[in-house]
Amino acid sequence: MTTFALRRLGQNRPILLAYGGALALFAVTSAFSPGFASANHIRILLIQASFVALVALGQSFVILGGGIDLSVPWTLNGSAILMTLFADGQNRPLVWVIPLLVALGGLIGLVNGLGITALGVSPIIMTLGMNVILSGGLLVYTNGSPTAAAPAFVETLATGRVGPVPYNTLIWLALASLATVVLTWTAFGRHLYALGTNRMVAQFSGIAVSRVTVVTYVISGMTAAFAGILLTGYVGQAYLGMGDPYLFASVAAVAIGGASILGGSGHYLGTIAGALILTVLAGLLPILNLNTASLQVIYGVVILATVALATLPGRLAVTR
Amino acid sequence: MADLEARAVTKRFGGVLALDGVDFEADAGEVHALIGENGAGKSTFIKILTGAVRPDEGEVVLFGEPLAARSPRDAASHGVAAVFQELSLVPDLTVAENVWFRRERLTPLGTISRRRVRRDTRALFGRLDFPPLDPDIEVRSLSVAERQLVEVAKAVAGDPRVLILDEATSALSPKEVSWLLDLARRLAAGGMIVVYISHRLAEVREVASRITVFRNGHSVGVTEGAAASEDEIVSMMLGRRLERLYPDKEATATEAVALRVRDLRFGHRLRGIDLDLREGEILGVGGLQGQGQLELFLSLFGVLRARGTIELDGRPVKISSPRAALAAGIGLALVPEDRQNQGLLLPKSVRENVTLAVTKRFSRRGLLDLERERALVGDAIRQLSIVLSSPEQPVGSLSGGNQQKVVISKLLLTRAKVLLLYDLTRGVDVGTKGEIFQLMRNLAREGYAILFFSTDLQELIHVADRVAVISDGSVTGLLEGEAITEDRILRASVAGGTAA
Repeated sequence: MTTFALRRLGQNRPILLAYGGALALFAVTSAFSPGFASANHIRILLIQASFVALVALGQSFVILGGGIDLSVPWTLNGSAILMTLFADGQNRPLVWVIPLLVALGGLIGLVNGLGITALGVSPIIMTLGMNVILSGGLLVYTNGSPTAAAPAFVETLATGRVGPVPYNTLIWLALASLATVVLTWTAFGRHLYALGTNRMVAQFSGIAVSRVTVVTYVISGMTAAFAGILLTGYVGQAYLGMGDPYLFASVAAVAIGGASILGGSGHYLGTIAGALILTVLAGLLPILNLNTASLQVIYGVVILATVALATLPGRLAVTR
Repeated sequence: MADLEARAVTKRFGGVLALDGVDFEADAGEVHALIGENGAGKSTFIKILTGAVRPDEGEVVLFGEPLAARSPRDAASHGVAAVFQELSLVPDLTVAENVWFRRERLTPLGTISRRRVRRDTRALFGRLDFPPLDPDIEVRSLSVAERQLVEVAKAVAGDPRVLILDEATSALSPKEVSWLLDLARRLAAGGMIVVYISHRLAEVREVASRITVFRNGHSVGVTEGAAASEDEIVSMMLGRRLERLYPDKEATATEAVALRVRDLRFGHRLRGIDLDLREGEILGVGGLQGQGQLELFLSLFGVLRARGTIELDGRPVKISSPRAALAAGIGLALVPEDRQNQGLLLPKSVRENVTLAVTKRFSRRGLLDLERERALVGDAIRQLSIVLSSPEQPVGSLSGGNQQKVVISKLLLTRAKVLLLYDLTRGVDVGTKGEIFQLMRNLAREGYAILFFSTDLQELIHVADRVAVISDGSVTGLLEGEAITEDRILRASVAGGTAA
């Protein structure tokens, strides 16, 4: 029984580590910047973290299954721009616009998934190609001109709150719970881990490997599209290129959260910690008074170092 | 002093004492066998010799010099080479390139000359009297047996002072085995120390001049190869007498045909296979390696899409994937050839592996009932007496025999009634083998229909009710009862088309 408990803890160690890292980083930053730990600022941090975390939710599923989704930036971007176009600043059309866009995101994922499973295109090529197609398509469609502002309802979703808690955080919490249940307590979750660990074993065990794979990309497309809608509400408008930072950030959040980038191990609970770390980090660097370009460099270096650190225990365990 | 000597070597892994003050001696010029049950400490000892593991106490001395290898590369530079059951070849390189991998002599430009590599390989193959194998084909397209042969060539290519053969014959055909045994003797005669590890006692007694037996991390005895009887050796390994390796054959077969195969064809590997497997029957599949046996099993399990008809319990079924095979009629389930890459998720827990194919059985309204899963796993572990410290243990940390039991329990949970067992006892120790054969007979008695392929003729002879011999993609002999003899099987293997 003790070994059982110990092993359980051992499996979760990377995730605990990631949360520890997030807390430590938060404490350090608060020490440098007095307003950082105020209730108001914590709310802002949570909202900012939710966008990365939502995109990274779908990304977690894809990566757990041994794939990767590089089409998230323009799936997010497309959903943001179409939302402002379709709704044209009005709340009423959102009744059909939001479901439609999430479904479209799912459709993009479906095409990705089918390309990978049925045609045998490698995930990197398939999703990268999809990203390029989407970015080009959007440019043609919008002619590059700016679109209408975000409808008020979407702004409320992204920034409003009940009591002390932002709506945005509640939505995130609900989706995170759902993801956790799916990963931990469903056959689909089991099959997903099996697939990411060893595709052939999964196939020999009678698992519908293609179907599971396709579903992960569908989920990723849906979460990216939904994140695009919320992000537009937060920023106030949609613009070309707004999804670009979310590619690296979503993959980094998954990796910092202790998941193997090759699939098979990790959990969305870890990804959440990863998203928090990235967000606090983005808040810490401006305090150091550097220009944006240098910030980018440091941001990148710090993320790579964190990922390396986060994957270290796993590598040690393997060579032991 | 012996040429290779280990003194009081001790190694702990966590709380487990893998080796407890082991002594070992082998001399140049001899083939020295090292045997013992799984978990006896053989693997750990070999890992110490090859530098993969460092001992906590004790030392190893090679030709008077302490051998403290820090890595397999380091060990290689001291002249220690090993062939393991787990293969280390690069699938995308050719046979020749693999043989000389990281030992290539470079041209003045620092590149590898393919021609020279090829020429060296031909020369080496000639020197070793190597079975016919094209040095230019990619390892990817070789069978497991052929890969094992290439491993041997690769190890010998470096002219080692110590050659360790760890279960190196596990996938080989009888002919290839006798070649390897002969090679081991010749290399030893040339002054090499050959350490030979195998579960196959007949081989061990044939090739080894001395045998060291390990049990529970101790060296429990050394005997002359030919002097000890198989029974005596087994008793030393087990610390008790093994009642019987093979259970009695029983007339458990019924008249009902569980699996009927007609005119099964797959490219040029299967040229119209006909088979009838009855309920309660253990039908052995024999023949030389690579005659289509693997393709037969993979086709029946839906990994390969073969043409022809397959009937389960009298009803034709279409099997387009393993998923379809498990779901079809009374169900077809496979113990695959490659446990590590097809059978088990090595880093995952025993529990997850056992239930991987049957998550539906403990789902309620889409959610997994983990209590029920634990109960299922507990039953499976008890039923097959799987030895482990916890069901949460990674399955990769179990011994080969226990890993194979996990594969079997995974199969049984699917409730498939037709079991396809491909080389079930590969890398499994004697004690567990006996248990597995008994289990097969019990399952047959319960009405399971079992198709059983083995590279070991003795297993076919002693376990199967009937043996179908396959040669060049078709059944060239169907032996039953007293007619199942080594001689008849071998004759049908080379008959090529004439029924025995």
